[in-house]
Amino acid sequence: MMRKIESALVLWLVGLLAVTAQTRTVTGVILDKADNLPIIGATVSVMTPQGKVATGTTTDLDGKFRLEVPAADRQLTCRFMGYTTVTLRLKDGQTDYTVYMENSSKEMDELVVTGYQQIDRRKLTSAITTVKMSDEIIGGINSIDQALAGQIAGLSSVTSSGAPGAPVKLRIRGVASMNGTQDPLWVLDGIPLEGTEIPSMEELQDIDNIYQTSIAGINPQDIESITVLKDAAATAIYGARAANGVIVITTKRGKVGKPQINFSMKLTYNPKTNIDRLNLLNSDEKVDLELGLLQSDYTYRENKGDVARILASHGLTDAYKAGGWDALTPEAQADINALRAVNTDWNDILFRDVFNQEYNVSLSGGSEKATYYSALGYYVEQGNVEGVKNDRFNLTLKTNYRINSKLKVGASVFANRRKQRSYLTYGDGFTNPVYYSRIANPYLRPFDENGDYIYDINVQHGKGDDVADFNIFEERANTSNINTTTSVMSIFDAELKLDEHFKITSQFGLQWDEGTIEKYAGEESYAMRREKLDHRYTYSDGQRTFLPDGGSNKITDSHQTQWTWKAMAEYQNRFRENHDLELMLGTEIRHNEYKSLYSAAYGYSPNTLNNTSVIFPSDNIANEFPLHTESFTENAFVSWFATGSYTLFHRYTLGGSIRFDGSDIFGVAKKYRYVPLYSVSGLWRLSEEPFMKNVTVIDNWGIRASYGLQGNIDKNTSPFLIGTYQVTTILPGHTEETIRPANAPNPDLRWEKTQNVNVGMDLSLWDNAVSLSVDYYYRKGTDLIGLRMLPLETGYTSTTINWASMENKGVEVALSTRNIHTKDFSWFTSLNFGFNDNKVLQETVAENSLTPSREGYPVGAIFAYRTAGLDEDGYLLYLTPDGQKLPAKEYFQLNSAGASSLSAEERRNQLVYVGNTEPKVSGGFTNTFKYQRLTLSVNCIFNFGMHVQTQPSYSLTTFDRGLNTNHDILNRWTPDNPNGTFPRLINSTDRPEEYSFYDNYYVLNMLDIYVKKVNYFRFQSIRLAYDLPEKWLKPIGIKSASVSLEGRDLWVIASDYHNYLDPETMGNPYATPIPKSFIFGLNVNF
Amino acid sequence: MVAVVLSLAACNDFLDIQPIGKVMPQTGDEYRKLLTEAYSRVLADRGLTTFRTDELVLDDATASDDDLEFYLDIWRWQDNNPDQNTSSFGWLNHYYVSYIANSVIENRQNIIEVTDSARNQMVGEAYMLRAYIHYILVNLYADPYTHCDPATTKGIPLKLSSDVTAVLSRNTVGEVYASILSDIDMAESLLNVETWPEGETYRFNKVSADAFRARVCLYMGNWEEAYKAAVRVIERHGTLEDMTSSTTLPNDYQSVEAIVSLENIITENYNTGKISDGLVALYRSGDMRLSRFYRQQVAGVYMLRKGGNNTYRCTFRTAEFYLTAAEAAVELNDMDHAHHYLTELMKKRYNALMYSRYEPEILAMTRDELRQEIYDERFRELAFEGHRWFDLRRTTCPELTKTYNGETYVLQKDDPRYTLRIPPEAVEANPGLEAE
Repeated sequence: MMRKIESALVLWLVGLLAVTAQTRTVTGVILDKADNLPIIGATVSVMTPQGKVATGTTTDLDGKFRLEVPAADRQLTCRFMGYTTVTLRLKDGQTDYTVYMENSSKEMDELVVTGYQQIDRRKLTSAITTVKMSDEIIGGINSIDQALAGQIAGLSSVTSSGAPGAPVKLRIRGVASMNGTQDPLWVLDGIPLEGTEIPSMEELQDIDNIYQTSIAGINPQDIESITVLKDAAATAIYGARAANGVIVITTKRGKVGKPQINFSMKLTYNPKTNIDRLNLLNSDEKVDLELGLLQSDYTYRENKGDVARILASHGLTDAYKAGGWDALTPEAQADINALRAVNTDWNDILFRDVFNQEYNVSLSGGSEKATYYSALGYYVEQGNVEGVKNDRFNLTLKTNYRINSKLKVGASVFANRRKQRSYLTYGDGFTNPVYYSRIANPYLRPFDENGDYIYDINVQHGKGDDVADFNIFEERANTSNINTTTSVMSIFDAELKLDEHFKITSQFGLQWDEGTIEKYAGEESYAMRREKLDHRYTYSDGQRTFLPDGGSNKITDSHQTQWTWKAMAEYQNRFRENHDLELMLGTEIRHNEYKSLYSAAYGYSPNTLNNTSVIFPSDNIANEFPLHTESFTENAFVSWFATGSYTLFHRYTLGGSIRFDGSDIFGVAKKYRYVPLYSVSGLWRLSEEPFMKNVTVIDNWGIRASYGLQGNIDKNTSPFLIGTYQVTTILPGHTEETIRPANAPNPDLRWEKTQNVNVGMDLSLWDNAVSLSVDYYYRKGTDLIGLRMLPLETGYTSTTINWASMENKGVEVALSTRNIHTKDFSWFTSLNFGFNDNKVLQETVAENSLTPSREGYPVGAIFAYRTAGLDEDGYLLYLTPDGQKLPAKEYFQLNSAGASSLSAEERRNQLVYVGNTEPKVSGGFTNTFKYQRLTLSVNCIFNFGMHVQTQPSYSLTTFDRGLNTNHDILNRWTPDNPNGTFPRLINSTDRPEEYSFYDNYYVLNMLDIYVKKVNYFRFQSIRLAYDLPEKWLKPIGIKSASVSLEGRDLWVIASDYHNYLDPETMGNPYATPIPKSFIFGLNVNF
Repeated sequence: MVAVVLSLAACNDFLDIQPIGKVMPQTGDEYRKLLTEAYSRVLADRGLTTFRTDELVLDDATASDDDLEFYLDIWRWQDNNPDQNTSSFGWLNHYYVSYIANSVIENRQNIIEVTDSARNQMVGEAYMLRAYIHYILVNLYADPYTHCDPATTKGIPLKLSSDVTAVLSRNTVGEVYASILSDIDMAESLLNVETWPEGETYRFNKVSADAFRARVCLYMGNWEEAYKAAVRVIERHGTLEDMTSSTTLPNDYQSVEAIVSLENIITENYNTGKISDGLVALYRSGDMRLSRFYRQQVAGVYMLRKGGNNTYRCTFRTAEFYLTAAEAAVELNDMDHAHHYLTELMKKRYNALMYSRYEPEILAMTRDELRQEIYDERFRELAFEGHRWFDLRRTTCPELTKTYNGETYVLQKDDPRYTLRIPPEAVEANPGLEAE
C-alpha cells in the first residue's frame, strides 16, 4: 500500500522539483543480478535524512532511469518489490550507472498479503509466514499442497497416499477442535475456496473414492507466493472458518514491460515400488503354512486355499489330517508340489514404471494502463498401478487496468479441467490392486496356458461355492471409474482511491465446480457379478437376481456454486510525522449451493448406450434400490469486520480486529446466528529504537504479541428433533412419506471457544545473512464440541457434545542463513521446526466409555492393554499393575459368552497410555548451493515422536488361510514352535471364552505390541539446476533458460517400519506407496 | 442508522434458508410422518427367530449358499463361533423405534394443527410401539418370565424417555413386563381409531390394546387376565377366515382376521429352507392349512406360501386370541370354554367331514391332553408367524434336535441358548449390560 502511494507521490514530485533546485542528471539501468534482465518499474529515489522521499523516478521498459538529483545528494536508493534494496553511491564525474539488484527470494520483503489487506511488514503484529514460489520449491510436484511440505514452521503435512492426485493433509499448529474439518482455509487472490476438505483416512483407503480437493485444480506454476496465517491476530478477519489457520495464495500477475513468454516442461519417471519390505510369503512358505494348518486344530475356513482344494478333489482331506504327507497319493503330492513351482510376483504384474509429463506456457506483460498474464498448463500422471491416470488442463487469464488515477479494476479467470481414471472396486476391499497384491497367493496364476482368465476364489468370503468369478486383470479390462471435474473461478476487483488517505475496494468471486463420476461395470466383471449375486430374490420358480443381463453404468453429477462479495473502506494517515493510523471496515456476503444427481442404468451396453429397465419384485425392494436420487443444499453467510492499527514513532504498533459471522442455521434460536471474534496485537520494533541506531549488525529486530478469541457452534446438532423426508411402503400399494430423525438432538450444546496467545520475535543480522523467527503460542479451547459414543439404548450410536477443554502450546523456529556468499559460490540454509504439545485439560468421560479420560494426555493419545508374552499354550498373557501375568479369561473376567464382566470403569483402568498419534517435532531442512550457473538444493522434512496403532498382522480367530500374509504368521506359537513370539491361532473349543472375546470384541488392535513408534527424516527432493549461458541462447532468440534434474522421495531414514513400505503409511494396508520419482525440467524465457 | 437496521433485516432474510428435505416436526401431519417412520423401522426379528425353532429345516437342496451363510448358525444354535455373515438380531434399531415413540409421547402437548382425537390416537400408538419394542427385546434377550424369578432376573434396559445422555442398566424381567402392561393401559385410554383404511392397517387401533395385553399376560402365565383380554378381542373382532371356503390366507393383511398388520415376519430374505417333517406331520387329514400354508415341491418337501412378501404382514390376528382364550381356560380349569374356543377355530380350518370326526375326540380329552392339543393347534395355526420361539420359551423349553450334513445338533431342555446374548456392539457401547 505504502509503496503505491510513494510511487505516485514521487512522480508528482519529480515534475515539481526538476525545475527548481540546483541539480545534476543521473542516468542508469537496473538489472536483475540473476539473469541480467532489466527490472521494470523499480523506484530510484533520493531520500531525506528522515527517510522520506525527496525526489525519485521509476525505471522504464528497458530498466533505464533518468533522474535529476540535487547536487548535494551523494546517494540514491533503488527499490523493487521482492528485491533487496540497493544503495547507489554517486561518484564524482560518473553520470551513468549499472545497478544489479538481487531477488530477495525466500521471503517477500515489503508487503504481506492477508487476502483482505496488504500489510507493511514493518507494521505486522501477527504470526504470518510467506513463501515465495520458486522453481526449487515447486520442483517436481504438481499440486500446491505438496509444495508446502517442510516449508513453514508449525505447518505439518502428511501425504495420505502415493496415488496420483491424492490430497495432502495439512495441519497448522496441531489440532484445535475435534469438530468438523481440521483442514485450513484456502484463499485464492482474496476469495476463500470451497471444496477443500479432505475426506477421512478410511474413505481414502478405497480406490473407488478417487477424490481431489479444489486445491488440485490450481496450477503451481501460476502462483507467485503463498502466505500462511497462523495466530488469531492474523486469522480473526476470516471468522470462524479460520480456526484451523488460513493459507492465502497470490497468483502471478503481468508486469509492466515487454511481453514475456515463459515455457516450462517437466518429464517425470516413476519406477514401480519394490515391495520386498512387506515380507510376504512365497509359494513354498505359503504351501507349507496351509499344510501345517490343516493338521492343526485351527479350523477357520478349513476348505480355503489351493492345498485344501487339491486334497478335497483327491478325497484325501481326512487321510491327510490323520496321516500327514505320507498318507497322500503320489498324484496328490505332485499336484501340491506343482503349486510350489508357481511364484507369481503380483507386484511385478500389477504395477509398472511410468513416465509423466507436464507443460506450461505463460504470456505476460503490460503497460502503465493495463497488465496481463495468461497461461496454459497441461499435466498428465500415470499411476504406478496400471489403469490409473490423472490429468489436468489449466487456463489462467488475469488482467489489471488502471482506468484513471483514482480507479483500478482487475478481472481474472482460473479454469481447469481434471480427469482421474481408475477402475472399479466393489464393496470388497480386496479388489483394490494395492491390497490385492498383498493378499493374492503367490501360487496362483492370473492366466492359463490359453491366455484365459484364472479366477481367484480364495480371496472371497463365504463357504466357497457361491462366489462370483474374480480376476483383477479382467476387472481392469472391463470396468472403469472416471471422475471429471471442470472448475471455473473468476474474480473481479475494483479499487477506488478517493484521496491519498481514503480508498474503497470491492471484490466479487464466483466459483463453479462441476463434477461427474462415471462408474461402469461390464457384464464380464466381478463388480457386476457380485452386484447381481447381492441382489437376488426368491421367485416362485427359484432364486435369481432381479437385475437385467448386461453391465451397469452409474453416474453421479455434482454442481457446486459459490459466490462471495466483499467491500471494504480503508483509511490511512500519518499525523505529525510519528503517528500512523490505519483503519478498515468491511462487509462480506457469501452464498453457496451444492446439488448432486445420481442415476444408475442396468443392462447397460457401452456400445449402444442402451439400458434395460429393472423389474423390481416388490415395492420395498424398489424403495431400497433407488435408480435416481437428488440432493440440494444451500447456505448463506453475512459478515461484518473491522481492523485497525496505530503505529507510533515507526516502532510501536498496536492492532486489533473484530468480526461478526452470521449464517443460516436451521433449528437454532436466531440469537446464535452471529458469532463474534476478535483479536488484539502489538509489535515493538527494537531495531528502530534510538539506542539501537549504532548497532549495525542488526537489520531488523521486532517483538510481536497477540491475543484472540474465536467461537464456533455446531450447525448439525440442534436442540430439537430434526428429520429428513423419506418414502416408505409398509403395506402393498400404499406408499407414504415419513420423517426420519437425523442426529440425536442435544439441548445442552454450548459454543466452543478458543483463546489464542502468540508471542514472537523476528531478527535479522548482518545484512540479512541470518534471519530468525521464533514464535511461542498457547491455544486453549474450552467447551470443545466433539462426538461421543452413546449406549445403543438411546437409539443412536453417537451424538455431539461439549466434551472437553484442551490446550496446544508450542514453539516454532524458522532460521535461514546465508552461509557463504561469494561471486561464484553461495550456500543458503533454511531450517524450520515446530514443537507442539497438546494436552487435554478436562474431559467428561461417559459412563459407558471403554477408553479412559485423556485428561493430562494429548488428544491423539493411544491407550493399550499391557501384554506379557505368551503362556505355555501360546495364548496372550496380560500384565496387571502388581506384576502378575494373567490369561485373558482372568484378566478381563470373561463370562461364558466371552464378554467381560468388568464394569466400564474397571476396563478403562486396565488401559495404559503408550503414545501420541501427532508428532512432537516436525519441520523441514533445506540447503541450497550455488556455483556459478549450477544450483543444488536438498530439501528434507522430518517428523519425530509420533506413534501409530498398526493393524495386527493376522487375526487370532479369523485368520484366513486363503490369503497371503507376511512372515509374522510363521513366527507364531505352535506346538512345534514353542518359542514363537506371536500368539497362536485360536479355535472355538479349547478356550471358548477367550475365543468369543477375541472374535467379538475389539481388543486385538488395542494391544501394546501393535503400537509402533514413528520417527522419520525424508529426503523429499534433491535438485540440480543449470542456467544455460546467454551467449548460447541469444542467437536463437531466447532470453534465458535453465535445465534441472530432480530426485524426489529417494530416501527416508526412519525408526523401525518393518513390514511396511513407508513410515507414513503404516497402519493403512490399502495405501498406495509413496513413489520415488526422477524429474527432468526445462524452463525457457523468450 | 436506518440503513444499518434495514441491511440487518435484509441479511436476516438472506440467512433465512429453509433447507430442502429437512423438517422440525410440529404439526399433526408431521408427527404422523414421524410415527410412520417408527412403524417402518420395526424389525422382523420375530421372523428371524423362526430359524431357531423346529418349524423349518435348512439343507443344501432348499437353501442357497448365501442363505446358509446367513442363517445356518442361527438354525443350529451355534452362537459361539458363527459365520461372520450370520444375520444378527436387532438392538440399536429396536431402540431407535422407541426413541421416536418417546419423542412423540414427550411432545404430545407441542403438536399443533391437530384435533384432540388425532393427538390422543398418535400418542396412544406411541405407547403401544414402545411397549411392543420392549416386549420383543425382553423375549429375545432375557430369560422367559415363566422360567425365572422375574423380580431378580436381569431383563433389558427400559427406555422410557428420549434423553440421549442417560446410561441405562438392565431392568429386571418383572419391571419390564410391568412397564409393558402400564404402557398398554396408557395406550388404551388414548387410542380411538376402530378401523384404519386399507393400506394403513399396520397402525395400532383400539382393539389392539386388548390383543397385546392378552399376549403379554399369556407370556406371564397370568391366565385370568389373558383370558379376559382374549375374550374381549373376540367379542369385538371375532370373525375368523373360513378356510373351507375363502381363498384368502388368514395372515394376509386383507384377511377379516387382521387386527394389526405391522411386522413382515417371513421377509423375502427369510423365505428359505423347507418345512420341517415334524410340522408337516402335525397336520391331520382334512386340515385345509397344509396345502394352503405350504406348497409341495416334490413328494415330502414343502415350501412356505404364507410368507415372503409384505402381503403377509401380521402382528395381531383373530385366531391367536381363540387359542389364547382356550389355553388360558384350560389353565383356569374352565374346560367348557377351552373346548368352545378351540372348536370354534377348528370349524374354520378343517373340512366338515373331518371336523365332525375330531370334535368328539377333543371333548373326550383329559386336561393335560387338551393342553397339548391346544399347543399343537397353536403350532399348526401360527406357524411361520413369529410365535413359535417365544411359545417354546414360555411353555416347556423342550429339547430340540436338528441334523445338517450328517451332523446332529441338540438344544437341550432348558438350554441357556433359549435366551440370546446381547449383541457385542451393544455391550461395547455400554459395558454395564454385561457387568456383574
